[in-house]
Amino acid sequence: MRNKILTVDDSKTVRIIVRKAFKSYDCEILEAANGVEGLAVASKDMPDLILLDVTMPVMDGVEMLTKLKSDPQLKGIPVMMLTAEGGKDHVLKIAKIGVRDYIVKPFKEELLIEKAGRIIELKPLSDTPTKARSIFDPATLLVVEDKPAIIQQIQEGLKHTPWKIHGVSTQGEAIDFCTKTPPDLIIMSLSLPEDAAFTLFRLVRTNTKTKYTPVFGLVVKTESLAQQQAQTVGFTTVVTKPIDVSELEAKIAKAMNLDTSQRYFTVEGDGLIMRVPENCSPAVLAEISTYLKPKLAEAVDAGHNKSVIDVHQLRSLHMGVIKLLMQAMQTCRELGVQFAMVGNAQIISECKGFEDTRTWVFHDTLEDAKASMVKTPATALASA
Amino acid sequence: MPATQEISETLIRENISRAVGDVFKTMLGRPADLCVLAQAAQSHWTAVPAEGENVVSQVIGTVGFLGDVNGLIYFYLDLPFAREVTCHMLGMTDAELEEAGEEVINDAIGELTNMTVGSFKNGISDAGFPCKLTIPTILRGSNFSIEPIADVQRYFYKFQSGGSNIITDIMLKIGD
Repeated sequence: MRNKILTVDDSKTVRIIVRKAFKSYDCEILEAANGVEGLAVASKDMPDLILLDVTMPVMDGVEMLTKLKSDPQLKGIPVMMLTAEGGKDHVLKIAKIGVRDYIVKPFKEELLIEKAGRIIELKPLSDTPTKARSIFDPATLLVVEDKPAIIQQIQEGLKHTPWKIHGVSTQGEAIDFCTKTPPDLIIMSLSLPEDAAFTLFRLVRTNTKTKYTPVFGLVVKTESLAQQQAQTVGFTTVVTKPIDVSELEAKIAKAMNLDTSQRYFTVEGDGLIMRVPENCSPAVLAEISTYLKPKLAEAVDAGHNKSVIDVHQLRSLHMGVIKLLMQAMQTCRELGVQFAMVGNAQIISECKGFEDTRTWVFHDTLEDAKASMVKTPATALASA
Repeated sequence: MPATQEISETLIRENISRAVGDVFKTMLGRPADLCVLAQAAQSHWTAVPAEGENVVSQVIGTVGFLGDVNGLIYFYLDLPFAREVTCHMLGMTDAELEEAGEEVINDAIGELTNMTVGSFKNGISDAGFPCKLTIPTILRGSNFSIEPIADVQRYFYKFQSGGSNIITDIMLKIGD
């Protein structure tokens, strides 16, 4: 998936300037005009970077930043302040709340790109559109870690993927490996002796073959200084120990810009099936939401006019899921696609408790849902 | 709290020159040079055209600042120049600007004013007069004057950028 950059500024001029600055890079620009809208967009779309103005009506940048940092789902999103207020006290105040960097207006577009490029990977747009690699395509990952157990843990945790995980324990071995077989992604322990990780990072970045290779830092959760240093220096992201392998897998897929849509969308027979997984974090919901319209449009283009929304794996309903389902139904209507839903007893029961969802109809199985659409070809079977 | 009388005209002039110059150079890629206004105009410039002069529509951005110094800055551009500046900042052609509407010009000049006054304010803050900015507003018209009610210190400065004029009208409140 492309990087998403959210620009939050009450000035449309600044938002246009930001959009213009990034137009040569492969990223999606989202916009919001104040802190309230900014929080809503951030929750829905989980951007990779937020460019945040300070002085705004409704909710200013400082308040929005404070709310971001107190939300467990959003606090990890890096924020860069864009401000006309460059005074020392002011900068210290916002630095204390936790910004990755700041720019004082007026600013040159080149400076914005340079600073953003230190926080997220900015890939120039290529002239010929290339098909995105999918999560089913092989990839080479290099882990630089002097603790064999950690390498083993990563290999074991990702063995269900088509990725080949190579482990090395020293900076020298890592350089040799990268020279022979430039990996698609590098994970390096920040606790390697004599700051070897940071030296290695600089070498990786100066090598033309690995200049754009995503590099993850790996460190114990409590080592906040090392994490900060890695972020400042420009590591793609930091993964903390103990490792949550499913989170690591998601970060790897995102960093390598893999097309993960096949996790959630498949064409079966004459329809598109959208499966919402049991683990439905905001990141997963944002991912599904991003692919929704393009995948439905692709299905329609291929001659499929039916869709099944399958939520039977969900253990319970929450607002994020309700919004996603509403978006899915709305998109189906816009594209003239018939749809039906598959659920479970718990979901059906919880839907009855909400005004907006109580009339929703769920089927027990995929076959029942498909059959229901054959019976009533002209109408949508679930209403919202 | 330092009284406004302690802020010298030199400090004001240096900071507004630097601010206008920086903003024009950074955002528009062109210089904006301070001109010498006639002595009479230094304390009382007006947008009201003199007899026989053509009436030109003006777009005026204004931002206030509050703190150890309280005041307002009005940033005057004539409409054709405001349009030119907007097109350059937003990468638009004239036709695109026409289609987008006047709101876009207001927003662009508002932001330009915000950046200029912000830069000015940062300079005087560093010189020992900390203050914060208010939100920018836009005035438009062709035959009007702005007169403060209370006693103020008032300074007009004229800048030229590629043959076009920019006037800054700085009003500082005297005393507490």
